[in-house]
Amino acid sequence: MWNNVKALTAAIVFLGATSLLAQDAAIPPGAVNINLPDNSPLALKSFTMADSRATARGAALALDLHMSATLVNNGPYRIHGVTLRVVAQEVTLGGKGSVTYPSLNVGPGETFQVRIDMQLMRPSQVTGGPLVQVDLDGVLFQDLSFFGPDRLNSRRTMTACEKEAQRDREHFKRILAQAGRTGLQREMLESMARQSEVSQLAVTVKRTGRAVTSAAIAPEHDAEFAFLEFPDSPVKPMNGSARISGNEARTPRIEVRNRSNRPVKYVEMGWIVSDPSGKQYMAGSLPSADTDLILPPGQSARLLQETTLSFSAKGQPVNVSKMVGFVNQVEFADGNIWVPNRQNLDNALLLKVLPPSAEEQRLTDIYRKRGGLDALVAELSKF
Amino acid sequence: MKHPSQEVLALHAGGDLGWMARWKTARHLAGCERCTAEVGAFARFRETLPQLNQIPEVPWNRVAADMRANIRLGLAAGECVRSSDGPLRDSPLFTGARATLALASVLALMVTGLMLEGPAPSMASSNEPMVQATVNGIQSRSGDQAFGLMHSGARSVTYTVGAQGTLGARYTDPETGNVTMTKVYVE
Repeated sequence: MWNNVKALTAAIVFLGATSLLAQDAAIPPGAVNINLPDNSPLALKSFTMADSRATARGAALALDLHMSATLVNNGPYRIHGVTLRVVAQEVTLGGKGSVTYPSLNVGPGETFQVRIDMQLMRPSQVTGGPLVQVDLDGVLFQDLSFFGPDRLNSRRTMTACEKEAQRDREHFKRILAQAGRTGLQREMLESMARQSEVSQLAVTVKRTGRAVTSAAIAPEHDAEFAFLEFPDSPVKPMNGSARISGNEARTPRIEVRNRSNRPVKYVEMGWIVSDPSGKQYMAGSLPSADTDLILPPGQSARLLQETTLSFSAKGQPVNVSKMVGFVNQVEFADGNIWVPNRQNLDNALLLKVLPPSAEEQRLTDIYRKRGGLDALVAELSKF
Repeated sequence: MKHPSQEVLALHAGGDLGWMARWKTARHLAGCERCTAEVGAFARFRETLPQLNQIPEVPWNRVAADMRANIRLGLAAGECVRSSDGPLRDSPLFTGARATLALASVLALMVTGLMLEGPAPSMASSNEPMVQATVNGIQSRSGDQAFGLMHSGARSVTYTVGAQGTLGARYTDPETGNVTMTKVYVE
């Protein structure tokens, strides 16, 4: 009897595996459409979609797309950043993302490689036509001029990255000039140690109200922000709060005042949370709305987002005990961008929770993986 | 040499093994004196069993008579409660055992499918649009639809959260060496 049951189970397993394997299929390159405008400074040199597959998983269809492309700078200017917009609207309703390559240094006629790995899930089979559309959202040049439709505010994102990159390269160049190679090496080691010690939260963001989780049973209350102030910041945080319930923070709001003499059109606050044991984490950022903010000198405005953030670490909810905010980015109406300087960031709390900039991460990677101090000094001398 | 168990030898002595097991055991016995002796002992013991009826200390015959009487009583009681105009079917379509077997088969098929399917990208029970980090990427999800940008192979990934409904990941691409920043949006 038991032998018969085992034989029957094996037969069922075999039939199930056969039917599932039959639903696994390669995705052809035509499934991804790359659209670069005719007057784009970038051109597509080559493109592959190796190992891209569609697989049935239960009642759903999983699409694993691995795109690799080589782009060439056809323009006359050196490129320092590129953002691609990735839309899978036909496959997943509202599926939209962006892939940004900051800290580039691509001269005219030079090429660089980009990779985009995507995973799409939808409940049924896909009909014909491209699954994913990849568009150029923006190109940032060395002189901070910009090309592209900028539908995802990539100009601001890449300009802020470039400002941080200039700041950090200058910082490391100054250390090299003042303390020599030994000083630069010590700074690299300290940076790597800080990067390894930063604790990250797993955060889920929903646009609606409170999530139905274990935290839903916790009573909700208003928690006030404390603020780190930077003397040279063009914007001063005045007050702020969020609705807190266990490991969820809802509808964060911060009032800021423009203390500069120029109109401001975008403000982004950094947001740090502490758990009941006092451990601190970088929770995220609270930006102003993407449009319609013009903050004249001396005026105040409120940054408000109708979202709910849920925090966890290592699979366990992280209850929010205290919150600290700081000004992380300001864009003036003329397009100039302010970011905190290295002295502002040399703060005990920020050093513990703030990840390094993209450029600092790139430079430490060069030091760690591509030839040590010689390679780093050579890279700094390119700028 | 691996010897058959005592149970197998006992069943062989009584001729109660299946044909395959009987053939395998007989092959073994042809070359094993020890097991042959065991089988012989079991056979001799079986021959003594009928004589136990005659052991005066154990009233086997009386016990057997009592059991037979009880069985007859039970059958008679069953006849009394059975409906006269609705004879029970001898082999109904769905007995309890058959239904259990059918359900077990369906369950086995479902479990097998889930095991073969592997860890699918996480699907929330909630239909609310959300963004979240997954094992190797970041994902925007609404119900059973999901859009993810992956960073497989990246060693150190920094996540950035925008309270307006964005989630970003920053990492050094292990193949190109470029710093790469991906972002998904709650729609």
